[in-house]
Amino acid sequence: MARLTRRRLLQAGATASVAGIPLAATAQSPAPRRGGTVTVALVQAPPSLDAQLTSAQVARDINLHMYETLYARDENAGVVPDLAQGADVSKDGMTYVFALRPGVKFHNGKTMDAKDVVASLERFRKIGLASILLSGVDTMEASGPLEVTVRLKKVQSNFLDTLSSPGTPLAIYPAEEAVKDPKDFKFIGTGPMKFVEYAPDSHATLERFADYVPNPNYTKRDGFAGRKEMFIDRAIFRFMPESGARTAAIKTGEVLINETTDGPTAKQLGGDPSVQVLKLLPFALQIAKFNHSQAPCDDVNFRRAVTACLNAEETMEIAFPDIYKLDGGLVYGYSPYYTKAGTELYNQNNQAKAKEFLAKSKYKGETLTFIVDNTRPPMDTATDLKEQLGQIGIKIDIKVADWPTVSTLGFKPEGWHFWTHGLGIEPYEGPAKLMSIWANGISQTKDDPNIDKLYADLLAELDMDKRKAIFAQFQTYMYENAVVIPLGNYGMFQVVSSKIKNFVPYRIPRLWGTWLEA
Amino acid sequence: MGHFIVRRLLISVPVLVLVSLMSFAVIWLVPGDPAAVFLDASATPQQLAQVRHQLGLDEPFHLQMLAWYGRILHGDLGRSILLNRSVTAAIIERLPVTLSLTALSLVFAVVMGVVAGLLAAMRHGGWADQSIMVLALIGLSVPEFWLGLMLIFAFAVRLHWFPAGNFVPINESFAGWWQSMALPAFTLAAVQMGFIARMTRSAMLEVLHQDFIRTANSKGLPWSVVVTKHGLPNALVPILTVIGIVTGGLLGGAVVVEQVFSLPGVGRLVIGAVLSRDFPVIQGTLLFVAVIYLLINLIVDVLYAVVDPRVRLE
Amino acid sequence: MPWSIRGCALSSIAAPIDPPTNWLHAAARLTVPVLRRLMHNRSFVLGASLVLFVALIAIFADVLAPYDPLRSNFRARFVAPNAEHWFGTDHFGRDLLSRVIYGGRVSLTIGFFVVVVTGIAGTTIGALAGYFRRLDNPLMRLMDALMAFPAILLAIVISAVLGASIINVVIALSIATSPHTARIVRGSVLVVREMEYVEAGRALGASDLRLLFGHVLINALAPLIVRLTYVFAIAILAEAVLSYIGVGPPPPTPTFGNIIAGERDFLETAPWTMIFPGLAIVISVLGLNLLGDGLRDVLDPRMKL
Repeated sequence: MARLTRRRLLQAGATASVAGIPLAATAQSPAPRRGGTVTVALVQAPPSLDAQLTSAQVARDINLHMYETLYARDENAGVVPDLAQGADVSKDGMTYVFALRPGVKFHNGKTMDAKDVVASLERFRKIGLASILLSGVDTMEASGPLEVTVRLKKVQSNFLDTLSSPGTPLAIYPAEEAVKDPKDFKFIGTGPMKFVEYAPDSHATLERFADYVPNPNYTKRDGFAGRKEMFIDRAIFRFMPESGARTAAIKTGEVLINETTDGPTAKQLGGDPSVQVLKLLPFALQIAKFNHSQAPCDDVNFRRAVTACLNAEETMEIAFPDIYKLDGGLVYGYSPYYTKAGTELYNQNNQAKAKEFLAKSKYKGETLTFIVDNTRPPMDTATDLKEQLGQIGIKIDIKVADWPTVSTLGFKPEGWHFWTHGLGIEPYEGPAKLMSIWANGISQTKDDPNIDKLYADLLAELDMDKRKAIFAQFQTYMYENAVVIPLGNYGMFQVVSSKIKNFVPYRIPRLWGTWLEA
Repeated sequence: MGHFIVRRLLISVPVLVLVSLMSFAVIWLVPGDPAAVFLDASATPQQLAQVRHQLGLDEPFHLQMLAWYGRILHGDLGRSILLNRSVTAAIIERLPVTLSLTALSLVFAVVMGVVAGLLAAMRHGGWADQSIMVLALIGLSVPEFWLGLMLIFAFAVRLHWFPAGNFVPINESFAGWWQSMALPAFTLAAVQMGFIARMTRSAMLEVLHQDFIRTANSKGLPWSVVVTKHGLPNALVPILTVIGIVTGGLLGGAVVVEQVFSLPGVGRLVIGAVLSRDFPVIQGTLLFVAVIYLLINLIVDVLYAVVDPRVRLE
Repeated sequence: MPWSIRGCALSSIAAPIDPPTNWLHAAARLTVPVLRRLMHNRSFVLGASLVLFVALIAIFADVLAPYDPLRSNFRARFVAPNAEHWFGTDHFGRDLLSRVIYGGRVSLTIGFFVVVVTGIAGTTIGALAGYFRRLDNPLMRLMDALMAFPAILLAIVISAVLGASIINVVIALSIATSPHTARIVRGSVLVVREMEYVEAGRALGASDLRLLFGHVLINALAPLIVRLTYVFAIAILAEAVLSYIGVGPPPPTPTFGNIIAGERDFLETAPWTMIFPGLAIVISVLGLNLLGDGLRDVLDPRMKL
């Protein structure tokens, strides 16, 4: 998630799309038209345009137009080849031999080969933000001009999930760029758009990469993979934190895509023929975490009292008006791993039961600390939870700070009891990523051997059905022990000018496959 | 005079040292971790440590401070963690926006403030005087960011007269620049307008009560000629001084107004840096802004001294 | 910032009134004729009425607020102003009038404490610097350094550093407003300490402290009162800015500023959620500014603006 939380991007959410809008609906559109400039309003500036160095949502919005990965995710987050043709996995699951797609051009004119891939992955392993993703890799080598062989240290069932993660993308750069000091990196990738300029606090400009060859293995746009055909010549991503300013800009036509707006505004714009209001739901899973190192949150009865009490609908409606879905699943509904296991304990809204648990718990009326970052939806979530828990006698003090402060404090064992934020990319990426949040006690600040074992089992299990069973067990465990409070999925309203054709909301405002009406 | 300026400059040296020390030290009190900016909520402490190391944030205080002084003495404000560029470059890129915003609002504030003040003075005690003074006082009492939001609501969202937050550099298109700057500059000028109007009025009133004005008046010159030919030049000195002070105030106000109108200026740079813990940018911009402030104060003091020789002896 | 400006102007001239001989004398001398003059000053009367109006509402918030300002009702969100909810409701379905009333209480409390802390810190620093020669340079250079930062920027940075809370907002704003106040006090003290009657007191063996409090400080009182009135106004404006930037007092406790900040995503759909609290700020600050102008005219006629 991330920083999506920061600056009401959060409210944003994205893909539900997938679930909701059939791709076929757009198939009847008239022939695509080439040309034109599209301005996209984003809620904040990206921390970096070097895809390997950031996991921020806003950075992804821009970067995934410029860079590609060996494997990527399709519309339903399934793992499919992108820059790779495919991979041969040895029986023991320890060796992956990747065949690369021939004729892939970098923005500097060079053709991609195995050396570029190895150099990029080595760069990621060394300085990539999520270098830990490659910690299970033993060796990587260019075993042919278009062949890369990777040996793992031990079985890792989620290795391709990792390679295809859009979170901190394992983007492929030209070898000569990959070895440079990252300060001098020239933002060169293989994607359908290439870098033009970056005006700090104002905008980033990309243009169509003329030599881009859409992946011949696919016939249609599909998630972050598939056929990426670029019709638009130029894209300007403007950073506009004020939601009113974004709305005004789309009304006047200064921008053609507004990444996110709130429910009431979306309703108002609904009748305006010059725009399309699109829903992206789910984009993220809103959760409230317990700090298991601090009394009384270390007490399962206290945690159960809290989860029994809560009315998730009220919280979601206030924090994410008209753009939420009450769903207790810890991965998104379209994932093959989605399960309802344990979710009878979601959204209980049962004060009587809550009071029973509370009486059994060690809570003695002390005031507990709820930390939250200073963007509206999470603050609203905290405010409403405080109000609801106050009704069964739990006293809460809300402590607000900026994201860096809160997210540092939130992994420490002292100084907080509750913390709420969204998980955007984790439920999208699947069980391994999601479970890693609580593995080794990271998010609850106290080791839970049961969770650690389930996580290890999942990583060692190569059979899909068995992995599904493990994940269902995990979800049940999370609910029964009230490890965390899942509040529901939220999404975002995207506003797109009617001049833009064939736009389908996804986790980022994808520009490939769309075109501008004459 | 030269002597006065030298002395005034010497006083600035310890202040500069203190200012630079404060700029550097403030971020050490910050609990937040700039490394967290790069990470999402599922980042592990190991990942954090790794990023901290890459950013050089794990070195002890005194080493980082020495490095900071070493750099600023060479005019280098360090390198932004988030922006992938030097702090100096980041400031210089944004400076034209802040300067043009400040300059335009200064024009608004001075023209409208002086005219309103003159009018009020000429109609002293009358209906026009009172309404102008009430308006000026209201201007002084309105929060800038709220006024900005109201103007966006009225003129951008409802009436569509102005765009909202699509900054156009002046060298790209003057009309576009004017469109994107008019509302923010007016917002910023509203407070200062009130201030200048009040100052102009009281300076004019003081002058108009003096003998030579009465004499000019009794000679039968039209009142408007008396005011503009004889009154205004004599009230100009305090008005000019106020304009110097106002310029400093505009810089502070720009911090907030840039935020409201999404203008890519120095104010947004520093607020963004504060909220994302971009340490080098916080330190660098604080120092930069403080130095500009000190310079403006210096100029104001020198102006005073030029105008009123007694100041030099103090 | 509007306010640093007012500060600059105020600080540039700080004239003492004639030397009173002791507290009682001074008090009597100040009160009777001064009060009479204040009552004839239109700015003062209007400002005092506005401030009294706002203060009474804040004090009697419990009685006056029609609803609980924290009670949400998610079935009645974004209700436009009507007979039941004069100011409408916000996105939690909370009654906005009640929130503005209680918000006024918190904002005025913040302003009040900023005045107290600034008054104490500014007087202490200014008096020490003005009276004890050796302290003058170091203290005033420190104040100069603090004043080199735009006050609002200083407050934002300090508040972000300390963490968002009511107390930290008070601390941040006090640090931002104290230096000017100290400078004003120092100015008055400097003039008075060289006057004959203080010299005489010293010759008669009066202690420094006694002289400082008994004679010198009393003369700084008039400019100090005027300045602190403006500080009150500044604090209310600045609290709103801090909330807007995201470093103000945390929810759910309403303040003028965080009501606006919490609703700004809904500017287009529910403009009343921003218009009313904004007007409340304007009225409060206007009252204080009028009051300050009136006090200045009467107490310290040589100060300009």
